[in-house]
Amino acid sequence: MAYIGLQAQIRRNNARSTVILACFPLLILVGVYAFFFFTGGGKEHIEQVNALFIKTIPFVIGGVLLWFIIAYFGNTAMIRMATQAHTLDRKENMRVYNLTENLCMTIGMTMPKLYIIDSSALNAFASGIDQKSYAVTLTSGIIDALDDQELEAVIAHELTHIRNRDVRLLIISIVFVGILSFVVQILFRSLLYGGGRRKDKDNDKLMLVALAIAAVAYLLSILFKFALSRKREYLADAGAVEMTRNTKAMASALRKISGHAEVEEVKSDDVKQMFIEHKSLSGLFATHPPIEKRIAVLEQM
Amino acid sequence: MLIGLLIGGGVLLILIIWMISINNRLVSLKNNRESAFADIDVQLKQRYDLIPQLMGAVKGYMDHESSVLTRVTEARSRCMQAGTISEKIAAEANMGAALNGFNIQVEAYPDLKANANFMNLQGEISDIENKLAAVRRFFNSATKEYNNGIEQFPSNMIAGFKGYKTEPMFDLGVEQRQTLDKAPEVKF
Repeated sequence: MAYIGLQAQIRRNNARSTVILACFPLLILVGVYAFFFFTGGGKEHIEQVNALFIKTIPFVIGGVLLWFIIAYFGNTAMIRMATQAHTLDRKENMRVYNLTENLCMTIGMTMPKLYIIDSSALNAFASGIDQKSYAVTLTSGIIDALDDQELEAVIAHELTHIRNRDVRLLIISIVFVGILSFVVQILFRSLLYGGGRRKDKDNDKLMLVALAIAAVAYLLSILFKFALSRKREYLADAGAVEMTRNTKAMASALRKISGHAEVEEVKSDDVKQMFIEHKSLSGLFATHPPIEKRIAVLEQM
Repeated sequence: MLIGLLIGGGVLLILIIWMISINNRLVSLKNNRESAFADIDVQLKQRYDLIPQLMGAVKGYMDHESSVLTRVTEARSRCMQAGTISEKIAAEANMGAALNGFNIQVEAYPDLKANANFMNLQGEISDIENKLAAVRRFFNSATKEYNNGIEQFPSNMIAGFKGYKTEPMFDLGVEQRQTLDKAPEVKF
């Protein structure tokens, strides 16, 4: 495996993430254009298609932005409800509090709030969209199972997610995928139930085309989101090493976590993506890179 | 003629804005470093304040260990008198060694380890040691960024003009590293 230095990894990942993120709005616009192209008569009427497209751009962008803003701010409440975490205070968990505080002091970062989930699973995640709401949540299982250095590495991993504004990025991509999923569902439903008055066969064809395009766009957006997540996980691992100056601790923590990460108390799949380890599906559909690969990258740093 | 003047004026304006932004960046790096240094002082002060309490808690238990206890108290007053960075670093290293020696002697007193107040204080001091390490690392990285700004071209020109010099890190230096590498003496 080719040697990738720490700083080079960080730079690389940031560049790739920007590219992937830019693809989301582009995807929506391409989808809209394709819709007009196929339903407006294709190449022969290209000028009308273009004119129509340009007229609707501001509406599309406006609609997306509005949806975006609503979902973005509602998200934090959803996460809080889904996890049933409670605040971790210094007295009952001085070890965790001190580890976090010291890490933050090392890089001059404001300390986020700390929460704990009562679960024997070994997992952790970072959340929040701004300085006031940033938080790190740990399961009681992971606090008990890892030693000081390993726990420090896990906390550093989550702090890096916050530092890199990853959670914000993740929420943005979840929202975009949500928009496309919503569009697909609406089109699908109108196709199923709206076919009562079978006067207009063209109308159905329109729906079908729209549905096909939306489905493709939806699929692609999901793949983008997963690619984005995976890159950020490697980045967070690298950041944790940078913060703790200790590669062995992170690798050893991952080894302990592997296989014990399933938090049954949390049902929402969207929230589970934000955990430090999550095994949903593999390959292109994985939210996290396989743990063996993460350990391999860490060990050659 | 007018176009030439306009272009010249535009270039001059861009140059001035550029120099202002470099100046502001250097100022902010310098202030970052000073604020980090002040943060070190905050931790040091907390440690100084806890030490008399620690000494008070062991009174009655370790009365025969006067040499170890005196060493800690002396190290503390030396720390409070230190002024420049090099003095602080030396005094700090000395304090660390004194506390180390103290901690080793504590092992011989199981009664002390059952004392909740003492264990609490020990825990707090140990946490402050970790925090000191953390703020020192931050200070060093702030110093590194500042030095980078001073030495790199073209900001080094503005830095020279303002009299900014390369600053030292919170570093042990060769002799002190040797002193610290020696394990503290243990007398039973």
